[in-house]
Amino acid sequence: MIKTIAKPQEKKVTGCGECRSTCQSACKTSCTVGNQSCERVTREQKIDEQK
Amino acid sequence: MRRFFPYIIKIMVHVFTYHDNYYLYDTGSGALHACDEKAARYFSGESVEMTDEELAEIAGLEKEGILNAPETKARPIKSDEVKALCLHVSHDCNLRCKYCFADEGAYHSVREVMSFDTAKAAIDFLLKNSGKRRVLEVDFFGGEPLMNLDVVKKTVYYAKEEGAKLGKKFLFTTTTNGLLLDDDAIKFLNEEMENVVLSLDGRKEVHDAVRKTVNGKGSFDAVIEKIKKFVRIRGDKHYYVRGTFTAKNLDFSKDVLFLADQGFDSISLEPVVTDIPELQIKEEHLPAIGKEYEKLCDEYINREAEGKGFLFFHFHIDLEGGPCLSKRVSACGAGNEYFSVVPNGDIYPCHQFAGDKEFRMGNVFEGTLDPVLREKFAQSCLFTRKKCENCFAKFICSGGCNANNYHYCGDINEPYEMTCAMMKKRIECAMHVLASRKAREK
Repeated sequence: MIKTIAKPQEKKVTGCGECRSTCQSACKTSCTVGNQSCERVTREQKIDEQK
Repeated sequence: MRRFFPYIIKIMVHVFTYHDNYYLYDTGSGALHACDEKAARYFSGESVEMTDEELAEIAGLEKEGILNAPETKARPIKSDEVKALCLHVSHDCNLRCKYCFADEGAYHSVREVMSFDTAKAAIDFLLKNSGKRRVLEVDFFGGEPLMNLDVVKKTVYYAKEEGAKLGKKFLFTTTTNGLLLDDDAIKFLNEEMENVVLSLDGRKEVHDAVRKTVNGKGSFDAVIEKIKKFVRIRGDKHYYVRGTFTAKNLDFSKDVLFLADQGFDSISLEPVVTDIPELQIKEEHLPAIGKEYEKLCDEYINREAEGKGFLFFHFHIDLEGGPCLSKRVSACGAGNEYFSVVPNGDIYPCHQFAGDKEFRMGNVFEGTLDPVLREKFAQSCLFTRKKCENCFAKFICSGGCNANNYHYCGDINEPYEMTCAMMKKRIECAMHVLASRKAREK
């Protein structure tokens, strides 16, 4: 009856504020935080993958 | 045993359909589920016959925390650190686009460019106020920033040099109309810019109707090959071809697809922000816009399935690795951690407020920021926007654009419902794109 498509990953960090200012690069009229990824988690995952 | 009863919606579960597909988006957890019609009716509050197995399935998802999950208690990120500046290096432009929010580059004042002294003071201001933050952002904006390329170059080199002394790294971006993209500019931008936003509205007739040269001619032919060349040379580095649609081209899916057909694989198209009656998006346009997004979404999925996909900014949504909830409730950071600096060094909350004296926050030469205004913007977040309280999209859009809210509704905390309607439609399309991709991958 219900099939899960996507659910948030467990985050290692929250509220660190290292993410970019939302309206900086892609658009200048309708900011959408959801279009971004967590930069710190992405960075840490990359490090994990390189190990 | 069978039971009949309506589902008691404790928390917000957004039920929506896309063609014959039914979806549940759980606002509290951010999880997306596909479901059958019966489940959709059940979660819409209809009295539906449910089996024990079906109820157990729902209970399992609830237990897992991905359905009917309680909303976050996350608080906005509070920081005194300045992390990004938009440098208006040119309050002048070599185009005269009809819908320009910046008064065709002049920002309702004299046409001028920023001196290197001012840009340098802005970088010093950013470094001084950036606290422990290691990555800083500078966006070169206008008008047309390439009209002042020499200052852009000097500023980049100065920022890198000074940043390195303090162990800080700069990410630079530039927004350009492409008219001055010669070999020298292309080389510099490709070497130094983390991201480049290139303005192009789509089909020639659409672009030329609004994006005029100083002599009143359409600018499409003057920019298209330059932008193509730039993107070709740029390789894998980030860029966006970014356009604007108006009431004159409500068939804008054709413009996005036209851009994709030109070989651009990173595209954004935004609804116009203007009060010019013949261009302004009005409420009566919303049904057509919704259908157009669906049309685009269908073709987007088709092309992706055929291996000819491209990235449309608004159809990309990261439900799995997206920002933390603290970020999602903090909005864009304008006026608190992100500011605009105009050619005379005055500081505004963002580019959309530039020139509005009521929002002047200081000057980079004085090195000060109006504490009252800053606090007002720092306080502004999802939770100060009462209209967002019962919106399923709130943790994705974080309450919309401060400037848009202010210019249309007179209050940075009052979301503009036209923008909300389009945002919600795009988010539903983005979720359908995601579901279609996952289904293909399996």
